[in-house]
Amino acid sequence: MITMTKVQAKTPQKLKTQSRSQASDERTAWIMAAPAFLGLLLFIAAPFIIAIFFAFTNYRLGSPLPLDFVAFQQFVRIFSDEAFQQALVNNSLFALFIVPLQCAIALGLALLINRPLKGMVLFRTLFFMPVIFPMALVAIVWELIYAPGANGILNAFLSTVTLGYWQPLDFLHHPDLALPAIMILSLWQGVGFQMIIMLAGLQSIPQTFYEAAAIDGANRWQQLIHITLPQMKNTIIFVALVTSILAFRLFDQIWILTQGGPNRATTTIIFETVRAVFKRQDVARGSAMSVVFFLVVLAVTLLQRRISRQEREIR
Amino acid sequence: MIRNRFVFYKPILFTFFIMMVSFLLTGCSREKDTDGLGRTIISVWFHTGRPEEKQVMENQVKRFNESQDKIKVRLTLIPEGDYNTQIQAAAADGKLPDLLDLDGPYVYNYAWKKHLIPIDHLLPHEIKKDLLPSIIEQGTYRGKLYAIGTFDSGLGLYGNRKFLSAVAAHIPTGPQNAWKIDEFEKILAALAQKDKDGKVLDLRMDYRGEWFTYAFSPAIHSGGGDLINRDNFQNATGILNGPSAVKAMQHIKVWFAKQYVDPNTDTNSFVNGRVALSWCGHWEYPRYSTALGNDLVVLPLPDFGNGTKTGMGSWCWSITSNCKNPQRAMQFLLFLLRPTEILAMCRANGAVPARKSAIAASTLYQDNGPLHLFARQLEGGYAVPRPQTPAYPVITSVFQQAFQDIRHGRDVKQALDQAASMINQDIKDNKGYPDL
Repeated sequence: MITMTKVQAKTPQKLKTQSRSQASDERTAWIMAAPAFLGLLLFIAAPFIIAIFFAFTNYRLGSPLPLDFVAFQQFVRIFSDEAFQQALVNNSLFALFIVPLQCAIALGLALLINRPLKGMVLFRTLFFMPVIFPMALVAIVWELIYAPGANGILNAFLSTVTLGYWQPLDFLHHPDLALPAIMILSLWQGVGFQMIIMLAGLQSIPQTFYEAAAIDGANRWQQLIHITLPQMKNTIIFVALVTSILAFRLFDQIWILTQGGPNRATTTIIFETVRAVFKRQDVARGSAMSVVFFLVVLAVTLLQRRISRQEREIR
Repeated sequence: MIRNRFVFYKPILFTFFIMMVSFLLTGCSREKDTDGLGRTIISVWFHTGRPEEKQVMENQVKRFNESQDKIKVRLTLIPEGDYNTQIQAAAADGKLPDLLDLDGPYVYNYAWKKHLIPIDHLLPHEIKKDLLPSIIEQGTYRGKLYAIGTFDSGLGLYGNRKFLSAVAAHIPTGPQNAWKIDEFEKILAALAQKDKDGKVLDLRMDYRGEWFTYAFSPAIHSGGGDLINRDNFQNATGILNGPSAVKAMQHIKVWFAKQYVDPNTDTNSFVNGRVALSWCGHWEYPRYSTALGNDLVVLPLPDFGNGTKTGMGSWCWSITSNCKNPQRAMQFLLFLLRPTEILAMCRANGAVPARKSAIAASTLYQDNGPLHLFARQLEGGYAVPRPQTPAYPVITSVFQQAFQDIRHGRDVKQALDQAASMINQDIKDNKGYPDL
C-alpha cells in the first residue's frame, strides 16, 4: 500500500528511472535464479525428457547394439506384464489407505502436541524422530518387529495380549498381511512429517477465533469442527497432496523388506522400474514405467486439485 | 547506491556462475598414467565385503608396491552392496580402472560389451595347469579366458551330527554317496517329527539376490534341468521350465509347504541349534564350526536324480579394455596368484584356494581338512558354472523372482514358464547377443 502511494506521487522523470531500474532488477533476478533454473533443467527436466525418449526405444544399459525405435512396444509390454499391473493396483491401494489415515493421524497428533504443556518439546521431538531416521534403519527395525515365529516382537506381544490364543504369523510373507504391514511401518515413519506441517497450520490460526468462539459458548468439539478444520483446509489439502505423491513413490521399505513379494503382493511401480533398469539393464522398459508413473501422479494431483476447488466453490 | 554497488558485483557473480556451470559440465579429468617416480600406475578396484578381506588386500597392494619399482598399484575400495551397479555405471561412462574384481557370472556381460580383454596369452602355462578347473571354466567366455579368481567357493549342506544321529541318518562321506532326494526328504520328515517347531532346514532365506541362483540352480542341474540351453545360450523355454527343472523345484516347494524351512531372520538358526541342516557356503564354516565343534558335518547337497551338483564361482579379476598396459596389470594379478598370497586371502575369507598347490597347503581344504569336500567337488566336476552368457544378469534376476514366487506357493510350472519366456524375450531383444 505504501509503495503504491509513493509511485503515484512520483514525477514522470522519476517514473522513467524507476522502470529502467525495474528492468535491471528483473535481469538481476533472472541471473540470480539462473543456477536454480539450470539445476532444474539439468537434473529434472532433461532426464525426464530423455526418459520419454528412451521409452520409445529398446535402449539397454551399456548395450553395444544399435538403438532401435519400437514405438509403443514398451508400453504394450509393461501393461501386459502382470507384475506391473499388480504394482499399479498396490500403489493405488497403498495411497487409498495411507492418505486419509496418515492425514487424520497427523492432524490428531498435531492437535495433541499443540497444547502449551510442559515437556511438549520432548513429545514433538519423539514423534518427529522417525522422519529423521533413514528408511533403511526403520525397515530393519520393523523387520525385527514383524519377525515370524513365536519370538518375533509383534507375535510375542499379540500372544501375551491374547493370553496365548494368537498363532504366530509371518507378516511380511503373508499374501494378505504384507501390504498392510508395509502401510503401518510407513505410517509410523512418515506421520511426523505431516504432523509438523499440520502443527504449523494450527499455529497460524489466530487465537482470537477460539476466544470469540469460547465467548459464544462453543465447546472444544464445536471449535474443532467450525474453526480448526475450515482454517486448516489449505494445509490439509497440501498435506494430502504431498502424502499421495509420497505414497506413489513407495520403494525403500519394499526393497529392503519384501522385494515385492509374496507373489507381488507388495510390488510397486518404482520397485518394478528399479528392477527393470538395475537388475535387468532394461532402461527402455524402466523409462516407459517412469513415464506411466509420472502420468499417474499427475492425474492424481489434478484430480485432487479439482476436488478441492469444487469444495471451495460450494462454500 | 545499493543498486550501484550491485553492478560492481555483477562480473564476480557472472564468473562464479560460469565456474559452477563448467564444474557441472566437465567432471573429473583423466588420471595420469605414471607417478612422479616414473612408475606405471595401475588402478585397481576391489569390492569390500568383510573387513578381513579388505585388510589382506591393502597389505598385498603395499607389499607389491614395495617389492618392485616399475609399477604402482592404486587401490580403490568399493562397498560390495553397490559394486555391480557402480561398475555398470563406470563401464557405460568409459571410466573403468585397469584391473578390477567382478562377481563371477557378471564377467560374460562385460566381456560381450568388450569392457574386458582376454588374458589367456598373459597367463603362464604352469599357473594355468595348477588352477582349479572351475576357475578356468567360469572365467571363460566364448572360448577365451577373461577372468581369474584367486579363490573359488564351496556350497554344501552343513549338518548337526547330534540331530542326524538321533534319527539314525546315514552320513554321506563324499559327493559319490550324497543323499538321494527321497532319502533326504525322509530325513527331513524324521527330523521335523522330533523338532519343537518342525523347522529343521535352513536355506539361508536371510540372504538376498544372487544367493538364490547360486545355491538353488545346482538343484535344477542335479535334477537334469538347467537355466538355459547351453549349446548356444539362445533358449530357455523347455529347459528352465522343462519337466526336470519343474520336478526339482517342486521338491523345494514342498519343503516350504511342509514348514521344514526356518526363515532364519536372525541368521542364527543353525548355530543356535534350531535346525539340523543348513544349505550354505564355505564362508559360514568358521562360525558354524565354533558353535558346533565336533558335531559339525559338511555334506554334499542332495541328489535330485542325476548325481549331486554344487555351485562354483566367486569374485575374480579381469583386465579392462581401458588398461594401457595389460602386461603390467597382469604382473599384479600374478602376484595375487602366488600360493602364499592366495593362502593369505583364503585365511581371511575362508574360500577355496584357486590353485591346487595352495589347496595342498591349506589346513581347511587339504586331503584330510574339514572342508576337503568343497575342493573335491570343484576338482571332480560336481560343480556347475552359472551360464556363461551376457544374458546372465537377466537370467539370475528372473530366476530369483521365480524362486521367491515358488517359495510363496506359486505354481512351479507357471513361475518357471514366465521366467523362461522373460529370458527368451531378453535374448531376442538383444538379437541373440551376437559377437561384436
